[in-house]
Amino acid sequence: MKKRYILNYDENQYGAVVAQDGAETMVQVDDGDMTPVNFRPVLNGKAISIRFGGRLHLIHLTNSGGNGSVQATIGGRPVSLTVMDELRAQALESLGDAAGSGTICADIPGLVFQIKVSRGQIVHKGEPVIVVEAMKMQNELVAAISGTVTEVPVSEGDSVNPGDPLVIIEPEPGA
Amino acid sequence: MATSKTRRKFDKVLIANRGEIAVRIIQGLREMGLGTVAVYSEVDRTALHVLMADEAVFIGPSPAAESYLVGDKILAAARKTGAGAIHPGYGFLSENGPFSRQVEEAGLVFIGPTAESMEVMGDKLASRRKMRSSGVPVVPGTDEAVTDPEVAIGIAEGIGYPVLLKASAGGGGKGMRIVRESGEMASALRQTMGEAGSAFGNDAIFVEKYIENPKHIEVQVLGDGQGNAIHVFERECSVQRRHQKVIEESPSPSLTPELREKICAAAVQTAAAIDYRGAGTVEFILAPDGEFYFLEMNTRLQVEHPVTEMVTGTDLVHAMVKIALGEGICYRQEDLRQHGWALEFRLYAEDPSRNFAPSIGRIESMTIPQGPGVRLDLGIYEGFDVPIHYDPMLAKLIVWGEDREQAIARSRRVLSEFTLHGPVHNLPFHQWALEQPSFIDGSYTTHFVGEEFDPANWMPELDAGQAEALVAATALFEALRRSGQATDEKNVDCAAGNWRRNALRSMTGNK
Repeated sequence: MKKRYILNYDENQYGAVVAQDGAETMVQVDDGDMTPVNFRPVLNGKAISIRFGGRLHLIHLTNSGGNGSVQATIGGRPVSLTVMDELRAQALESLGDAAGSGTICADIPGLVFQIKVSRGQIVHKGEPVIVVEAMKMQNELVAAISGTVTEVPVSEGDSVNPGDPLVIIEPEPGA
Repeated sequence: MATSKTRRKFDKVLIANRGEIAVRIIQGLREMGLGTVAVYSEVDRTALHVLMADEAVFIGPSPAAESYLVGDKILAAARKTGAGAIHPGYGFLSENGPFSRQVEEAGLVFIGPTAESMEVMGDKLASRRKMRSSGVPVVPGTDEAVTDPEVAIGIAEGIGYPVLLKASAGGGGKGMRIVRESGEMASALRQTMGEAGSAFGNDAIFVEKYIENPKHIEVQVLGDGQGNAIHVFERECSVQRRHQKVIEESPSPSLTPELREKICAAAVQTAAAIDYRGAGTVEFILAPDGEFYFLEMNTRLQVEHPVTEMVTGTDLVHAMVKIALGEGICYRQEDLRQHGWALEFRLYAEDPSRNFAPSIGRIESMTIPQGPGVRLDLGIYEGFDVPIHYDPMLAKLIVWGEDREQAIARSRRVLSEFTLHGPVHNLPFHQWALEQPSFIDGSYTTHFVGEEFDPANWMPELDAGQAEALVAATALFEALRRSGQATDEKNVDCAAGNWRRNALRSMTGNK
């Protein structure tokens, strides 16, 4: 069996495939080779020791918020990243080239306060589509492209984390 | 020990502070066989200093103005527990003359200087006059408050531009303005007076020469309150952001042995001139031409005292307590030496990329660096919620090396082993600083952060191998977490079960 993840940190996006082949765990990062990895969860689950690229790395990992946001430290450098599982990755993939610009993601942790669009609705670039509330402040997110709303994977009152897709818009043909 | 416990002036001390300094003082007192009383506000009920003390007294709501800053509540807590002395730490009531007086009038010992010392040094004009008359060099400028722009221009022309307008009652970088030519004077004076009046309730302003590219050098002193004083050498604190220190070191890379002798002698002269009692710090600015000038005296134990302790092998908290017990200064000047080099890195919950804005939150996970030359003064623990009400300093990391080069190399190693998850913090800023040429060669000035730190582009990149390893580890971490969750919820599917078994096998080393 295989699991596919999409990870984001800084401005970079990575794809990772984790596969189980008998007793062996294999990992593929981006378009690299599928390679067996030697790793152990250590420090009472707070870190992973992993041999990768001929070096041993001790990587501290903490779930922050429970829904894809991860705080990591490698070599004393803290990194905030998000990790999405295959389902969400597929949702993004189905959008092909428009992925990203047509997908409105949460940029802060918060609660979905108001959804202003529904599936099938045509929206125009710049139109408000959803409101996320964080620390008593309401942040209105707008459509980055014009098109048709194909999916709204959240409901009002849901708690969301940075990177969670909120509204997916398919661009209008020829746009 | 010569004095038996029963004959001491006090055998229990209340620490009127919180955070790492309260912890450090409790440690010092315990080593001396003294009892310890902590005080705490609502939000600090389970703070580290409370957990460590022998006794703890609740003193009110979380805002400091309703708890740690209320002298009456602190005194009531001392009476209730029978503490015979109060150690104020730094900040809060540590330089509050009326509080020191109140403590002594209540028949308790204040572990620190007299109210008179604090009051002289707390007033910039009064301290300038006092130092000038004692023969300590002060920055050229006025000793009297100025309100008339024409008078200010006359003074500025006498000492030469640029000049600095400074609120007499100011501090921490507030109420200061640089004037580079006479045309700027009238409006600059008006604005500075307005700020000083509203911030400090006192609009007295004085004019002094503005020293370009200064170094901040300070000297640790100990006084017995009878006019005897010694110095415990210097520290350099030129790495500052928002006029607050973030990295300190001892010795200073900027002093020659001759200059060191002169500046330390001036500090002793300062302390002796006011019959200083306890531990204090005399701050100087050092101009690029090697001239130094008295800036101010901090009449308390400083945040950065550990670098002095590391290079001189002293314990300044013990020394303060012994002076308060009436045992005098426990070191002789001729026995004190500087050995090796120490750097201190203040760990703040703050975001260097966002103009060092404070951050809060739970300490989710922490791995503490160890090994040769490491001292960590901690105020937090895993699971502690960093409150919004106080200074965001969480800890101080102090690193010692045989010389500056080794101390820097060791600091890089130690910082690479330090992990803290939870609030955003400034450990990577320290790693950045240790790679800057002007820090490495010691030529950095107080403008270091302002001139060399680019908030948009400072975080060192991960190398390609690290980035890949991080991606792989995070994906594995997520896979493990999801399978763990499924098991916990008794919603086990085959795949998740497999993941878990395989992870366990991986942990036990069977591949």
